[in-house]
Amino acid sequence: MNARLLRAPALVLIVALSASCLTHLSRAKQHYAEGQTRARAFQAGQAVAHWKKALDEAGRACRRNPSAQSFTVKGLAEANLGLWREAEASFLQAFSLGFDEGEAWASDSALAGLAASFESLSLEVPALRIYAQLVDKSGFKPALMVAAERRTNLVLARASGLDPSEKERTLAALNKAIERLLDRDFACGLYHYLHAQVDGHLGDLRRSYEEAVMARELGLPSEKIGRDNDNQLVYCYVRLKDTLPAPDRGALTAAQARWAAKWGWPDDRTPAWKRE
Amino acid sequence: MSKKDIETALARGVEILEEFLPLKSWLLFPVLYAACVWAVRRVFDYRERILAWQVWLDPEFVRTKPDEFVLDFFAGHDELHREYAAEIESGDLRVLRAAFPALYPVFGLEDAFLKALFKAELAAADYRAIVVEFAARTAKARDGIAPAAADPAFWRALILIGVEAASLGLHLLKDEEVQDMIVALIKGPAGLGPTVPPEA
Repeated sequence: MNARLLRAPALVLIVALSASCLTHLSRAKQHYAEGQTRARAFQAGQAVAHWKKALDEAGRACRRNPSAQSFTVKGLAEANLGLWREAEASFLQAFSLGFDEGEAWASDSALAGLAASFESLSLEVPALRIYAQLVDKSGFKPALMVAAERRTNLVLARASGLDPSEKERTLAALNKAIERLLDRDFACGLYHYLHAQVDGHLGDLRRSYEEAVMARELGLPSEKIGRDNDNQLVYCYVRLKDTLPAPDRGALTAAQARWAAKWGWPDDRTPAWKRE
Repeated sequence: MSKKDIETALARGVEILEEFLPLKSWLLFPVLYAACVWAVRRVFDYRERILAWQVWLDPEFVRTKPDEFVLDFFAGHDELHREYAAEIESGDLRVLRAAFPALYPVFGLEDAFLKALFKAELAAADYRAIVVEFAARTAKARDGIAPAAADPAFWRALILIGVEAASLGLHLLKDEEVQDMIVALIKGPAGLGPTVPPEA
């Protein structure tokens, strides 16, 4: 009788605890998804706030009822916040609880963290080697995007000191690497932005313009990159307009006028934010 | 709305912000002005925006721009063109590239906070002073704002100040009018000295 009496509250307690764990995990997922949405809208502050909340909720879920899912969401939030070492540990836990990709994600997170440490110590060569490895092999998008951006910046910085033919070879190879990334994920605005930057260095303004337009349409990870992309786009457009033969110039001007109207620019060469 | 109402709202804003920032801090102007600009534009991620100027551009980001882009930036901006006419003419990229990391975030990316931080130099068209001052002043601003930035009440107050000013029709005033209004309020009674900013 007593055992039966105790069983009912215990059952209620178990259900309540499970529901509460489920709530933490589902809240963590909601915050993580909201962070992604905010990041796409250039609301970096709010994105970070949501990822922090996701991390907090996922942490609670991991403590109360460790699961592959809760550790995966925790690791994703940590990766987005640049906490690579913590992300590595979370993904390893997720792997041990049955998330098959967790091991590879942990390894990529560890590499991203290591490269960042090398860079902070001004050890650019080993950092570059790790970023190249991630760009070629990683299937974990947060690490891949960081590696692609950092590698491009480092290679461009080093290329400025090379003689023209060597520089061209280096930049062409860099573009090939970015194109391989685009083959894997053509909808990633950041890769198009990086391509536009390299094209600018190679003097291929037409391609740089087209890539910058695509980057703008697909979205970029931060406002600073978005504004720089707009500047690159306008720079290429103005230069192209000055150099193209009349029929091509007309087509370019018409296309740019349509884009400008779509983006809400006051004219073909003034981004809306320049009026702020 | 009347100009007087806005002025009263901004005066209240100065009063409130002085609780968070050191008395008569030279950060009052850029923080308050940036809050007003963003409120008019209905963007309220102030915290991120104000703190973002610290890392507005990764150093490599600027370092890697092609020479043609740098030249075009200087040549395409009337006032910078005037100031750097000799360097542009002679293609002196050493000077232009050295100035680019300071001037591109201010003129090329048009950050309201940075523009306010260098208001005195911009008003005096002393662009070379921005280049000289950039690293030191942005570092100083970062350190100066840190205690206030750690207090959530500071960010709440900033949003309320901006929203109130915007609701009173701040957007109907010219940028310069708003700036002058804030400067006058911050200067306060004669004798306390200007606070916008000390190095200028």
